[in-house]
Amino acid sequence: MSAVALEPLLHKSYRQNPRFRPRSLKTKHFSLSCSSNKRLSNSSSTFCNFKTPIVHSAKATSTDTAFLETQENETSSDTFFKETFHLKRIQKVEGKISVRLRRGDDKEKWQLSVGCNLHGNWILHWGVNYIDDVGSEWDQPPLEMRPAGSVPIKDYAIETPLTKSSLDLEGEMLHEVKIDFNPDSEIAAINFVLKDEETGSWYQHRGRDFKVPFLDYLHHGSNVVGAKRGFGIWPGALGQLSNILIKTEVSSPKGQDGGSEISGSDMQSRRFEGFYEEYAIVKEVPVDNTLSISVNKCPETAKNNVYLETDIPEDVVVHWGVCKGTDKKWYIPPGPYPPETKAFKNKALRTQLQFKEDGLGSWGSFTLDEEFIGFLFVLKLSDNSWLNDKGSDFYVPLPSSGNLPASSPPQVSGEETDQRAYTDEIINEIRNLVSDISLEKSRKAKTKEAQESILQEIEKLAAEAYSIFRSSIPTFTEATVAELETQKPPAKFCSGTGTGFEILCQGFNWESHKSGRWYMELYEKAEELSSLGFTVVWLPPPTESVSPEGYMPKDLYNLNSRYGNIEELKALVKRFHEVGIIVLGDVVLNHRCAHYQNKNGVWNIFGGRLNWDDCAIVADDPHFQGRGNKSSGDNFHAAPNIDHSQDFVRKDIKEWLCWLREEIGYDGWRLDFVRGFWGGYVKDYLDASEPYFAVGEYWDSLGYTYGEMDHNQDAHRQRIIDWINAASGTAGAFDVTTKGILHSGHWRFPSGKEMQGYAYILTHPGTPSVFYDHIFSHYKSEILALISLRNRNKIHCRSTVKIAKAESDVYAAIIDEKVAVKIGPGHFEPPSGSQNWSFAIEGKDYKVWEAS
Amino acid sequence: MEVSMIGSSTSCSSSSANKIVRSELGFCDLNPRILPTKNKLFFDWKKHRCSKAGIRLMLKTSIRSEAANSETVRPCSGRPRSASGVKLFVGFPLDAVSDGKTINNSRAIAAGIKALKLLGLEGVELPIWWGVVEKEAMGCYEWSGYRALVEMVAKVGLKLHVSLCFHATKQPRIPLPEWVMQIGETQPAIFFKDRSGRQYKDCISLAVDDLPVLNGKSPIRVYQQFCESFNSTFSDFMGSTIMDVSMSLGPNGELRYPSYPAKSSQILSVGEFQCYDENMLAILKQHAEASGNPYWGLSGPHDAPNYDQSPMASNFFREHGGSWETPYGNFFLSWYSSQLISHGDHLLSLASSVFSNTSVTLSGKIPLMHSWYKTRSHPSELVAGIYNTINRDGYEAIAEMFARNSCKMIVPGLDLSDEPQPQESLSSPELLLAQIKQACRKHGVEFCGQNTLVSGDPRGLEQIKKNLVNDNEGLNSFTFQRMGAEFFSPLYFPTFTKLVTTLDQPELGSDDLEGAESFRSMRSLNLGLQK
Repeated sequence: MSAVALEPLLHKSYRQNPRFRPRSLKTKHFSLSCSSNKRLSNSSSTFCNFKTPIVHSAKATSTDTAFLETQENETSSDTFFKETFHLKRIQKVEGKISVRLRRGDDKEKWQLSVGCNLHGNWILHWGVNYIDDVGSEWDQPPLEMRPAGSVPIKDYAIETPLTKSSLDLEGEMLHEVKIDFNPDSEIAAINFVLKDEETGSWYQHRGRDFKVPFLDYLHHGSNVVGAKRGFGIWPGALGQLSNILIKTEVSSPKGQDGGSEISGSDMQSRRFEGFYEEYAIVKEVPVDNTLSISVNKCPETAKNNVYLETDIPEDVVVHWGVCKGTDKKWYIPPGPYPPETKAFKNKALRTQLQFKEDGLGSWGSFTLDEEFIGFLFVLKLSDNSWLNDKGSDFYVPLPSSGNLPASSPPQVSGEETDQRAYTDEIINEIRNLVSDISLEKSRKAKTKEAQESILQEIEKLAAEAYSIFRSSIPTFTEATVAELETQKPPAKFCSGTGTGFEILCQGFNWESHKSGRWYMELYEKAEELSSLGFTVVWLPPPTESVSPEGYMPKDLYNLNSRYGNIEELKALVKRFHEVGIIVLGDVVLNHRCAHYQNKNGVWNIFGGRLNWDDCAIVADDPHFQGRGNKSSGDNFHAAPNIDHSQDFVRKDIKEWLCWLREEIGYDGWRLDFVRGFWGGYVKDYLDASEPYFAVGEYWDSLGYTYGEMDHNQDAHRQRIIDWINAASGTAGAFDVTTKGILHSGHWRFPSGKEMQGYAYILTHPGTPSVFYDHIFSHYKSEILALISLRNRNKIHCRSTVKIAKAESDVYAAIIDEKVAVKIGPGHFEPPSGSQNWSFAIEGKDYKVWEAS
Repeated sequence: MEVSMIGSSTSCSSSSANKIVRSELGFCDLNPRILPTKNKLFFDWKKHRCSKAGIRLMLKTSIRSEAANSETVRPCSGRPRSASGVKLFVGFPLDAVSDGKTINNSRAIAAGIKALKLLGLEGVELPIWWGVVEKEAMGCYEWSGYRALVEMVAKVGLKLHVSLCFHATKQPRIPLPEWVMQIGETQPAIFFKDRSGRQYKDCISLAVDDLPVLNGKSPIRVYQQFCESFNSTFSDFMGSTIMDVSMSLGPNGELRYPSYPAKSSQILSVGEFQCYDENMLAILKQHAEASGNPYWGLSGPHDAPNYDQSPMASNFFREHGGSWETPYGNFFLSWYSSQLISHGDHLLSLASSVFSNTSVTLSGKIPLMHSWYKTRSHPSELVAGIYNTINRDGYEAIAEMFARNSCKMIVPGLDLSDEPQPQESLSSPELLLAQIKQACRKHGVEFCGQNTLVSGDPRGLEQIKKNLVNDNEGLNSFTFQRMGAEFFSPLYFPTFTKLVTTLDQPELGSDDLEGAESFRSMRSLNLGLQK
C-alpha cells in the first residue's frame, strides 16, 4: 500500500517537525486494512510481509487505497518489514447489577430477578436456605424453582445463565434471570453470586454472597442492606473476606423507598414485599487494539527506521532496545533518540508515543544504525499494565548490510516455522490414527469406565477385609516372631499408615522458631527421644515462609527457615534415623504465598522454582483472583489456595515431595490443613511419595448447640473418616474430634490436666502424639511410664476398648483386656474376674493397671 | 451372583478378544532371533522406530480382536488364565478355621474372596488342619467350619485347592490333634529327634509311618481315614469347586526332615540330621547291616555340624574331602533321602487311591532349601533329606516319585531372588528353582508355585512376575500366601492388584500407556466378569 510506502519519509519529517502531521487519516486506513487482513488470514493474529528494499519511490496515493492493492505495491515499496500485532488489553467498564423482587404474573408466585447491564456471559450461581436449616450452607432449590437451563453444581448450588432480555427502564441492554418461587415454600433465603463465564470472574456483594432472606432477622442490623425495609439483600455467612476481587458497592438504591412495614419482634414471620436495588460493578473487558510496525531502510544514511503506530487511545510508553545477535539480548543503542525518551536503569529506553492528531492512537519512530539486527520492545500503558508479544518481547528484525532481506529467512518469532513442522506431524498422525481410533474410542471409554468401577469395588472390598483382619487379634501369620520384635523403620516402605505401633512426638512448639537454631537444639535431644520410646518425630514445616512458624510457605524448594538451614535439617533427619526414629515433614499443600502481585495488585504470582501463575490458584476465593478450578475443599483465607485439580500443580507437588523424601530423608508427612482439598489428591501425593507414615490435619469445628459442645461428635468424626476414605486409607488423620473433646473446646489443653489427656491417648488405640514441651517438663517421668506401658502391652492403633465406667467424675476403660485406665477423681477399680490387675501408674486424677 | 452383574454381555467377547491379542503376542514371541522376549518386543519398536509405532501396534491388535469378536461369539469355555497359562490362587489365612466349627474373620474373608474374584483370580487355597478337624479323639471329625468356608468359596465362584495338613504350625499356633500329643507323651518315639535328643513335635516321624503307634493304627492308616472322611464330606464339591488336594508330606507340609529349628536365629546354619529317634536308628541299623557295614548303622554322621555352626566348621560338609563324598557319606545320605522319598511315595499313593473316584488333581510340596546351594555339598538340602550335591541330582528321584503318583509338585519361594540373600550363605534360590523345574520337565511333572511371605518388599512381587512370565513351562498355578491384614494392606494389595492385572502384559513405556490401558482393561474386564 502506497500509504505505507510513503511513511518512512514522512516519519522523518514528523520527527523534525512534530507539529506537521499530514497523514493521520492514512495511518488510520492502514490499521483498517490490517484488520481486514486479519479476517482474511483467519487464524493468524499477526500479519507480516517482507519487502525488498528497492528504489525508494515517494509517491502519494489516494487515502482510500484498498487492501488488495497492497500486493501490487509491494514491489515498489522499500518497506523491509511490516507487521500488525493484535493487542489484547483489559479495560474497566462500569455497570450495575440489579436485584428485583416482586409478585409474579401468576399472583400465587413471587419472582426474583437478577440482571446485569454489562456485556458478558453471565451465570447466576445460586442456592437456597431452607427454613429449618440452622447452618449457613447452601442447599439446592426445589426443582420447580429452577429456571430452564439450570445446571446443578455439586449438591448445593445451581447455575443458571442470564439471558439477554428486554431493555431495561433506561433502554439499555440487560442480561437477566428470573426465579419464580412459591412464597409458601420452605425457602428461608436465596443466596447467589454472579459469574461471568467470559472472564471467569465472580461478583459478590462486599465480599460475601448476595442474600435475599425471606425471614426477618431484624436483630442483625449492621450488615444488612435494606434492613430497614424488613428485608432486602444482605451478605451471607460464607466468607469473612474483606478484600474482594470485584467489589460491588451499593449505589444508593433506586426506587422502592417507602412502603415498608417493620415488625421487628416477629422474627420468624415471612413477609414478602417487592424491592429493587442496584449495585455498581466494574467489569474488566478485554479490548482489542492493534499495533503496526514497519521498517524501512533509508538509502542515504544506511540507517533503519522503525515506525510504530497503535490505536490504543491512551498514553503508551515504549520500553525498547536493540539486539546485535540472535540471542535477543537488549542493548541501548547510541543516540539520537526520539523525543520523550529516557534511559531506564541502563537496560532499556523509554519513549512516550505521541498522540496522533485525530486522537485515535499514537505513534513513534526510531532510527537505528544498521549494525543492529533487531529491535526489541514492550509497551507500558497508563494503568501500569504491560503489553508484550504472547509472553515475550516484541521483536522486529532489521535489515543490515550483511543481512539482505531477500536472502535472510524471516525471523518473526521463530515459532511459526516450528509450528508448521508440528502441524505437519499432527496432521499425519491424525490421518493415520483417525480411522483406527474412532471405533475404538467409544469402546475403550466404556471398558475403561467399567474397569474403573470394578477396581473401585475391589479396593473397597480389600479395604474392608484389611480393616477386619487388622483389628482382629494380631496374629502374625507365617512371619517369625523374632523378625517382628525388632521394629526398626524399614528402608523402603510404602504404606502411609505405618505399623500401628507408632508413638509420635511433636518435635517443636509454636515458639520454636524464635531461637533460629531449633534443628540443632532438637539434634541434641534425638537420642533421648528414642530412649523414651518415641518412634516418630514430627518436625516443623521446613520451607521458607511468610510467617515465622512456617505455615505460610512461599518457595517450596527453599528449605532455609527460622528453624535452621537445609544442611542442619538434613543432619537432624540423619540423626533421628540413627537413633531409630522416623521423621515426618510438615508439608503445607493447601496454600502457598505468592512472590509477586499481578497487575491488579493482587498477590497471586509465584516465584522460586515453582513459578506458577494464577492458574494454580482456586477460582472461588476472590481474594486472590485465581484462574484455576473451584476448590475441592474449604478455603484457607489467608493465602492463595492451591488448585490441586491442575495437572501441573500435582506434578510439581509430587516432584517436591519425592525430592523431600530423597534429599532430606523424610519418611512421611504431616499434612497441614487437608480440609482444604479433596482426599483423593492426597492419595495421589502419597502414592507418588510413598511415605512410611502420613497423617492429615483435618480440623474443622465441632458441633455446638447453644454454645455448648455437643456430646455426640460422630458427625465431626465422620467428616474426618470420609477424608481418610477419600485418601483410600493411604494416610491417617489427627483425631481432632477426640482432641477437641479432651480440650473441652479450648485452643490449649486445659492446664493442669495434661496428664489425664496423656493417660487417655497413651493407653487407647490410635497413634498417640506427645507434645515436645510436655516431654521436657515435670511430666516427663509419667509420660515415660505410660509410653513404656503402652509398648509393653503392645497397644496399637486398633486396639480394642471396653468402656468400663463413664460418669461425671470418672471415665474408665479396659484396652485389649490388658490395660485398665481410669481418668477423673471418681472411684474405679478394675473388675476382679478372669484377669489379675496390678497397679501400674498413678497421677493426678488418673490411674492405670496392667493385667498380670 | 452379584459379582457378575456388571456388563456381563461383553464378557465373552472381550475374553475371546483377549485371546486373539495374546496369540498375536505369542506369535511375536516365537521369533526369538529378532525379538527374544515379549518385553523386548515393544521396547525395540519404541527405540528403533518411534513411539507412535507402539501405539499403532496396540491399535492394530485391538482392531483385530474386534474383528475376531464378531466371528467368535460363543459361550466362553474354559476359565480365564493369564496368558502365561498360570492360574492364580490366594491362600486363606492359616487359621481361617481354628475350632472346627466357626470361620474366623468371616466377614473379612467374604470381602476378600469377592475382591479376588473381581480381580479375576482362579481360586483360593485352603489349609485344613488335622489338629483342627480330628482334634479331640481319633476318628471324630469336625468338618462344619471348613464346610461353611468351602460353601462360601463355591458361592463366589472361585475354585479351591485344599491342603490337608498333617503337621502343626507355630504361627498361629495350631498343634497336632490333642490325642496325638497325648500319645506322644507316653511314646516319644513317634516324633523326630535330633542328635542332642530334642524332639520335633509338629509332625509325626516318618519312621513310624507303618507302625501301629496311634491307638493300634499306623499313622498312614489314620491319614487315609482322614482323607476318606474329607472325600465323603465334600463329595458334592469335589471336582467342581475343589480342584486339587495337596498332601502334607512333613514339616510345614514339605517333603523334608525338620532339619532346622523353626525359630533359627542363625540364617547361616544348615541344620542337623534328624535320624536319632529310636525307630529311625533301628531302620538305619538294619539297613547298615544289610549293606554289609554294620558299624555305619550305629548312629548318624558324627562329624556333621550342629545348629550353631557353619557347615564348613566341621568335616562332614567340607568342600573338598568332606565325609559327604566318602562311601560312608554316600551310604548314609542315600538311606536318609530314600526314607524321605518312600514316605512321600506312601502318602501320595495313599491319596491317589482315596481320591481316585474324583476328578481332583493331587499335589505335594517340596522345600526350597536354597542356602548353601552354591557349595559343592549343598549341606542344607542334605540335612533336609534331599540328596542333591554337585555330583548328584537329588530332585530327579523326587520328580520321578511325583510322576509315578501323577501328582503336581508345589514349590515355594518363587518370590525369592538371589540378590537379597546374604553373601556368606552362598545361597541361590533362582538356580535351585531352575534345577527343580528341569527335573519336573524331564519327568513331566507339573508344578505349582508359591511365595514364601507377604512382604512389602517390591522385589518379591517382581520376582514372582518374572517367574510367572519367563520360562514358565510346566507351571500350572501360583498361590499367593496368604490372606490377612498384611495381604490386604495398602502396602501390599495395590501392588498385588497391579501385578495380577498386568501379569501377561509386555512391559510398556509410559508413553504407550494409552494403549496399555485399553489392553489392560480388556483383560481385567474379562477376568472380572467371568462366572
